[in-house]
Amino acid sequence: MMGPITLRIPRSMMVELNDHLFPGDGDEHGAVIGAAVVPTSDGGMRLLAQELFLAEDGIDYLPGQRGYRMLTADFVRRCALACADRELAYLPIHNHGGTDQVGFSQPDMASHERGYPALLDILDGPPVGALVFAQRAVAGDIWLPDGRRHELDHAIVVGPTSARLQARPSEPSLVDPMYDRQARIFGDRGQDLLRRQTVVIVGLGGAGSLVNEYVARLGVGHIVGIDFDRLDETNYPRIVGARPPDLEGRRSWLHWIGGGRLGKSDHQLPYKVDIAQRVAREANPTISYDAIVGDITDDAVARRLGDADAIFLAADSMQARLVVNRAVHQYLVPAWQVGAKVQVNKETGDLVDVFSVVRHLVPGETCMWCNGLISSSMLAEEAVSAEQRRRQRYIDEVAAPSVITLNAVATAHAVNDYLFSVATPERNSGETKWVKYRPGIQQPAVEIPRTDPSCSECCSSRAAGDGQRLPTKTTRVA
Amino acid sequence: MTPEVEAAVAELVSAFPKATVTATSTGDGGADVTIDPVDPGPAYNERETWVRFNIGFQYPHADVYPIFVRPDLVRADGADHPEGIALGSVGDTRALQLSRRSNRLNPASDTAALKVTKVLHWLETR
Repeated sequence: MMGPITLRIPRSMMVELNDHLFPGDGDEHGAVIGAAVVPTSDGGMRLLAQELFLAEDGIDYLPGQRGYRMLTADFVRRCALACADRELAYLPIHNHGGTDQVGFSQPDMASHERGYPALLDILDGPPVGALVFAQRAVAGDIWLPDGRRHELDHAIVVGPTSARLQARPSEPSLVDPMYDRQARIFGDRGQDLLRRQTVVIVGLGGAGSLVNEYVARLGVGHIVGIDFDRLDETNYPRIVGARPPDLEGRRSWLHWIGGGRLGKSDHQLPYKVDIAQRVAREANPTISYDAIVGDITDDAVARRLGDADAIFLAADSMQARLVVNRAVHQYLVPAWQVGAKVQVNKETGDLVDVFSVVRHLVPGETCMWCNGLISSSMLAEEAVSAEQRRRQRYIDEVAAPSVITLNAVATAHAVNDYLFSVATPERNSGETKWVKYRPGIQQPAVEIPRTDPSCSECCSSRAAGDGQRLPTKTTRVA
Repeated sequence: MTPEVEAAVAELVSAFPKATVTATSTGDGGADVTIDPVDPGPAYNERETWVRFNIGFQYPHADVYPIFVRPDLVRADGADHPEGIALGSVGDTRALQLSRRSNRLNPASDTAALKVTKVLHWLETR
């Protein structure tokens, strides 16, 4: 059985489309979206709106011969060929009246049946489908090249919030009484939205383990945890849910060989993702959890980002930043980068700065590359072995200071932002701000991220889907 | 190698037509590259050196840095090497490390060939 077909639209495109479809005249208008096609792990499909073609009234959109209005043959041909060139799905659009509910008319469906088989031939691969919008609803009739035909399950307008559009309001499932207190904020519908979410957490160390517990306890239905590292004595204080017996296996082995005379071995120490999985299942026994022992720079691991509804980046490497930042824009998945920094004067040991930081990465809008947060020289350093790095740096690598309470400040704010963006997207979603919180200082430091229109990450890669490679490792032989 | 690293190596071959450019895959999509020989310029007694560097798998976003040359390069004026040039090693090979990071790297235009050319010009004019 096939998974759902969904559509993701960047906020800026949705604003442009809304202004075109609903200018206040109460009339019908037309457009086409070209969308990248991304197969999902459940056998479904995500359509990522990449290009918008607005049909000009009286030129591209005329009174119909069988229906009320129609796209001209010339406009259809131009858009279809443009989509075919870039292997995009061709999605013609029009609007109906109404607000929260919409559907195709009989003439609409008849026109699909007349025209879409030929369009599928022209596109030769990607699907063809129609979308009809009301003020706060969308319905879709998606035709696949293999002859199957599906209703669009829902659309997500991806911006500072994730607004969900459907053909009609759905009846939420009965909320588990366990979530009664938070369902009083978001309603059964909001809690149900959380249950349907897939959240990917990159890095299950100090910050990531906190995100993991919060997200699980909120009732998110599916978590994918990614980390290659193990628990040890040095990170134990910060890994939420780690227990003394997790370290006992190693201690027992050392005791057996006489107190560590033969050195250390970590082969019995649990992976951080295994601890995270245990914590999540204790918090929410019905949760679906994928614990991936792996590196986000491996292509197969990174591809899990394309399936997510939200990403939390809690890993502290530049390589991870580059991959996740690209995935945000390439797959239209919002992310929150969380971290804490303790800057110490290397000579005097004095504290220079201490802060917790949350950066909301909004697809097509806020980007770590644009804002100089991904260091090219550190990407080069991280690409070589630790031994070579030591040779190059002249100084020993020193572990950065890390404190659980600083991690907690960043992660609580980030998860709250995520929570409200999903459960109450109708809240004001204006300009996205990045925030630093410093201990003892009441006012957080706010930064409005800049956007470079020529950026290779947030602009050129927007909604590229699988049509572009992620900046991951490859074993491909030249 | 990634397609981007392959393209970088091809451009280096074009940029240094009188040298042999050898690229060895690092197994993750990147490459260790050697260009041999290159003229470091009249500021040095030795008029030939090899140049060695890594192109990381996240090139062109990753800088090509640092760059290494022969360890026994001696200034013709007898002076010590200035800041940014120091004795180190690349792998098990002793080398002079040229530490010149790119500021505000533009992945669309800052290619490996351009970076190596710039660093060699900087070495020549120290």
